[in-house]
Amino acid sequence: MIELHNVTKIYAGQTVPAVNNLTLKIEEGETCVFVGPSGCGKSTILRMINRMIEQTSGTILINNKDIRETDPDRLRMGIGYVIQQIGLLPHRTIAENISIVPRLYGWDKERIRKRVDELLELVGLDPDETRSKFPAQLSGGQMQRVGVARAMAADPPIMLMDEPFGAVDPIVRGHLQDEFLKLQREMKKTICFVTHDINEAIKMGDKIAIFEKGQLVQHGTPQEILANPKNEFVRTFIGYDRVVKMLTLFQVRSITKGNYSIIRENELANIRQKMDDEGAAVGILMNESTRPCGLITRDDLEKAGDVSPEKIKEIACSKKDAFIDGDLLLNDALSLMLEWDSDYLGVVDGTQLIGVVSLGDIRECVRRKEGE
Amino acid sequence: MSNLLKYMIENASMILNYANTHFSLIFSAVVISLLVWVPLGILISRNERLASIVIGIANTIFCIPSLALFSVFVTIPFLGLGRSSSLLALVLYAMMPMVINVYQGIKVVDKSVIEAAKGMGMSSRRILREIQIPLAAPVMFAGIRITVVMATGIAAIAAYIGERNLGRLITEGITRNHVEMILSGAILIALIAILFDTVLGAVERMLVPKGLKVRRSN
Repeated sequence: MIELHNVTKIYAGQTVPAVNNLTLKIEEGETCVFVGPSGCGKSTILRMINRMIEQTSGTILINNKDIRETDPDRLRMGIGYVIQQIGLLPHRTIAENISIVPRLYGWDKERIRKRVDELLELVGLDPDETRSKFPAQLSGGQMQRVGVARAMAADPPIMLMDEPFGAVDPIVRGHLQDEFLKLQREMKKTICFVTHDINEAIKMGDKIAIFEKGQLVQHGTPQEILANPKNEFVRTFIGYDRVVKMLTLFQVRSITKGNYSIIRENELANIRQKMDDEGAAVGILMNESTRPCGLITRDDLEKAGDVSPEKIKEIACSKKDAFIDGDLLLNDALSLMLEWDSDYLGVVDGTQLIGVVSLGDIRECVRRKEGE
Repeated sequence: MSNLLKYMIENASMILNYANTHFSLIFSAVVISLLVWVPLGILISRNERLASIVIGIANTIFCIPSLALFSVFVTIPFLGLGRSSSLLALVLYAMMPMVINVYQGIKVVDKSVIEAAKGMGMSSRRILREIQIPLAAPVMFAGIRITVVMATGIAAIAAYIGERNLGRLITEGITRNHVEMILSGAILIALIAILFDTVLGAVERMLVPKGLKVRRSN
């Protein structure tokens, strides 16, 4: 647990504080993302926690102990640190880079060797292929992975990450974020994560702390912040797509409903009857192998009027891709609905149909969350 | 050409003697310079105020014409004519290329590497020993090479203050208007410089950390 009490930092020769009277608590096992425009003091805060910068006034406690009571080098050895530029030692192999902190702790060779391989695997690199390479031989994404592995080497309970995925292209960044989230679910480390990207903050944070000019403007869960931006600054920082961003917090699975009918090819003629009987809003066309292969809504049927089963099949099949994996997010669902011009999507788990989701449900979800 | 060879063969023992003196002067100057200027360069890389003073002094010394510097030293009683004055002058001239290259070499090490190392809890001594010095090695070595080549040339001028080295062939050759004598001095000095530079170049390649030479293969 990290606690900052009335922490202020004024850099030499400046009158305006870089960080002004900040009080903030980061619970154990929580990822707290510091976000804000550049110059808002977020990196300064991070660097005060491992004493790379000393605060001008105030107290920082780690597990109820004032960090100034610990020798700075000792303190830093116990805190994982990842920076955007990564800072791998170019003249050392990947294995040597990862083993820096274990070596400072004086681990024996065998233990270090095992740990290096374990970490490389953990961050998705092949130990045999990677360990004796030099940093210059890796791609940007691989270097970021090594940077994370190095920070985790001695299994520190706390990690400080300053735009750790900032230097790679968006696709690689997305992968790294997903993988890190997966790791963090198991590791449950206490993480302070700095970024200027609100989307990254929403994705990575259990809590988000938004800063402006050294001031903490709002601190809360991504949902709290997206639902109730505290002021104009936060609103602008989040952007006009605030509500769509909020949709990224929920999986499609969470609002999936069962108001659909399964329609076999031989039932097409009686489709209206069957949907009425079952109180269904959507008919999902199934082929012989219980694979959904089309989708038709009540609206579609109304619009089509009295037509042949073949015509109904054709309409249904034109939306054969209007299905979404339950693990995906509501913003993905919304996008697919717009793409297929359909108020409903079928929800699948792999190839197995698990329900349907509607535009109305998404709206309902947003309304509910905004009210909370 | 044949005259030149004839001259060199006839005076082989004298020339070898001069070459030997020349060589030993440079060698002592370089060894002393390494012992003094490399630590000083490292020291000033950790103290900016000291750095600007030391670099200022080094630049000033480097601007003094060598003949003048030699002559001034001769007037100082305990230095006088010969080895001590020449040695001191060469060591002082080496200050500029050596101190500045060591200092620059350490300074240009990627800040983010230092930041990351510090953030992992490496002490500043350890960072210096394990990161800054190895990474500064190529730049430092460039400074040493420049120093050695330069010292080879300046040492010749020490012949004016009584050093009996290859420079003497040139100075004496000029007074006696003896072309072969001048040429043999000049050629041998150049050869010594090239020899030093080649050997040091090979040492440099061995010293540059392997990680700085590799590139992504794909």
